[in-house]
Amino acid sequence: MNPFHFSMTKIFKTLAACALLAFLPARAQETEVLRPVYAAYTVEAGSAHVAETYLSPLRYSGWDIALGYERMQAMRFNPDKWIMKLAGHLDYAQTKNNPARNATIDNMELRLSWSMMHRFRFSGGWSVYAGSATSARVGMLYAPRNSNNPVAAKAAWTVDAAAMATYNGKIGRIPFCARYDVSMPLTGIFFSPSYGELYYEIYLGNRSGLVRGAWPGNYFRLDNCLSIDLCFGATALKLGYRFDIASSKASGIVTRNIRHMAIAGVSGEWISLSPNRSAQLEKARVISAIY
Amino acid sequence: MNKFTAILAAGATAMTLTACHSIESYDNDYYGNFDALWDVMDTHYCFFEEKGVDWNETGQRYRARITPDMDYHEFFNLCAEMLNELHDGHTNLISWFDVSYYRNWWSDYPQNFNWRNIQQYYLDFEYSSGNSMSYKVLADGKAGYVHYASFSSPVSDSFVNEMMLALSDCTGMILDVRDNGGGELTNVERLVSHFITERLEAGYIQHKNGPGHKDFSEPYPFYYDPAQGVRWLKPVIILANRSTFSAANTFVAVMKNLPQVVVVGDVTGGGSGMPFSQELPIGWGVRFSACPLYDANMTLTENGVEPTDGGKLDISPEDEAAGRDTILDFAIEVLLRLDEQMQQNKNRSATELFLEYTVEKE
Repeated sequence: MNPFHFSMTKIFKTLAACALLAFLPARAQETEVLRPVYAAYTVEAGSAHVAETYLSPLRYSGWDIALGYERMQAMRFNPDKWIMKLAGHLDYAQTKNNPARNATIDNMELRLSWSMMHRFRFSGGWSVYAGSATSARVGMLYAPRNSNNPVAAKAAWTVDAAAMATYNGKIGRIPFCARYDVSMPLTGIFFSPSYGELYYEIYLGNRSGLVRGAWPGNYFRLDNCLSIDLCFGATALKLGYRFDIASSKASGIVTRNIRHMAIAGVSGEWISLSPNRSAQLEKARVISAIY
Repeated sequence: MNKFTAILAAGATAMTLTACHSIESYDNDYYGNFDALWDVMDTHYCFFEEKGVDWNETGQRYRARITPDMDYHEFFNLCAEMLNELHDGHTNLISWFDVSYYRNWWSDYPQNFNWRNIQQYYLDFEYSSGNSMSYKVLADGKAGYVHYASFSSPVSDSFVNEMMLALSDCTGMILDVRDNGGGELTNVERLVSHFITERLEAGYIQHKNGPGHKDFSEPYPFYYDPAQGVRWLKPVIILANRSTFSAANTFVAVMKNLPQVVVVGDVTGGGSGMPFSQELPIGWGVRFSACPLYDANMTLTENGVEPTDGGKLDISPEDEAAGRDTILDFAIEVLLRLDEQMQQNKNRSATELFLEYTVEKE
């Protein structure tokens, strides 16, 4: 028998046994990660300041109301560091305070966005998120007094920069999460007729040049939202303020929309569990998107 | 952390303040409103070249007439007078107390239409109607008469089908669009679709693609497709006058290119610029021609569509006083003659026969 061979075999067996012993406790200690879904339903109300030179050279202002939905969740592939956010807004504004106060422009818009952000945790309850989003917006402005150009249709798909900052703390015994959200389109496409083009010509089939490339120089939008979630048990009261500014220019047509909105709503986190998984809940590690 | 937040907030504020695209603003006084009106027209109106109007000179001349002590009625009249220099029936200044019109495109010409006379002496106050159309069979069943009062009234295929079936035994149709001031171009398309059997190049449309007086898009051809229902391929005599305007003017321009159609009466009123609306700080609206429409030959019809050669006619005052409609009488006579001639010349179009007939008559 080769003594060297014997000793090498013994060493390999020993190493294998050590590795197995090291592995088994690790498997026993691994806990399931639960990623609760944060959802918020909001109503927004405030003021709108609208200008649309396709319809009028005048600036209009009036009231604005919106319904909002927001959903956030830590992402499966790296829940500690990445989150996703889905947001939708249905907005209606009626503006009539032109200088003469004798005409109206109605503004309707549906906005949907999906974003993915990296989370940077800081001490003291602070987190900062940064990432990108993709957004779609459709809507129209309507000026009833106009004859052949009463409507300016709006549509855009953009890739946005998105960021968020949160601070988790307590007011007395009430936990809260204060949050600042901001997003800005960086590139994409948007719809615009030519300078004096009537929609009738589009109806007749002339669709050339209607889709424009977007960049912050011709399609600027900065959506700022400051909010606080006051947690009362399982649900939270959401209060906030939105300052949304949008300005675009294509073929000499300038569209501007500035919104100041107060926000109120409810929010909460929920986890979907099947009955046979609920037993593991106590052992699970819960990673919230914002808390 | 605080530093990061401060930088973020400062950046957002700076972008917000600098990002908005500029919009011209005007003072809400006489000069501000005048400048707003002049600018709107200068940058959007489409017929400066065709009308031969020097808008800079016009603006300076009228701006010099503004005085601080004039009241807003006087200011309105001043602005309206300036707009009237464009000689454009589609250009109006709209206030809460008045709407300006340029009327000379029809008021300088004979009216050539008396609906009361037609109802009384030709229709005997008995006729079918709907969709702003009135129709009846005349001349012992040879002539189907249709008067269409306004293209603002929707044209339904079902109504047109029934009307054409009711007139189907006639030799031809007299389609009277005198005093039809226009309306929706979609109604033009629908009505024309009942007179064609294949896709028709109806005309061209253009739009301003910038604020300059010569900034125009390439003319875009537009087409009309045949209707699914009844289609009228027998002779059609269109009656027109100077008050045949806007969409009705386009209708005549499109129909005139069809082989079975002739136009008699007067030159139409024009109005081939599709109107656009804007407004002034004082709250007045302004409407003006913005998008030129051309016929299928790329001819601008802003100044009207001529009748078919030999078809230019006026109603004589004597005839009108006697309750006669010279133009309608002529059309009925032509249809009766055509009826005879088409029996002998099965392969000739109504236009050819009509031209021969009018030369012979002269």
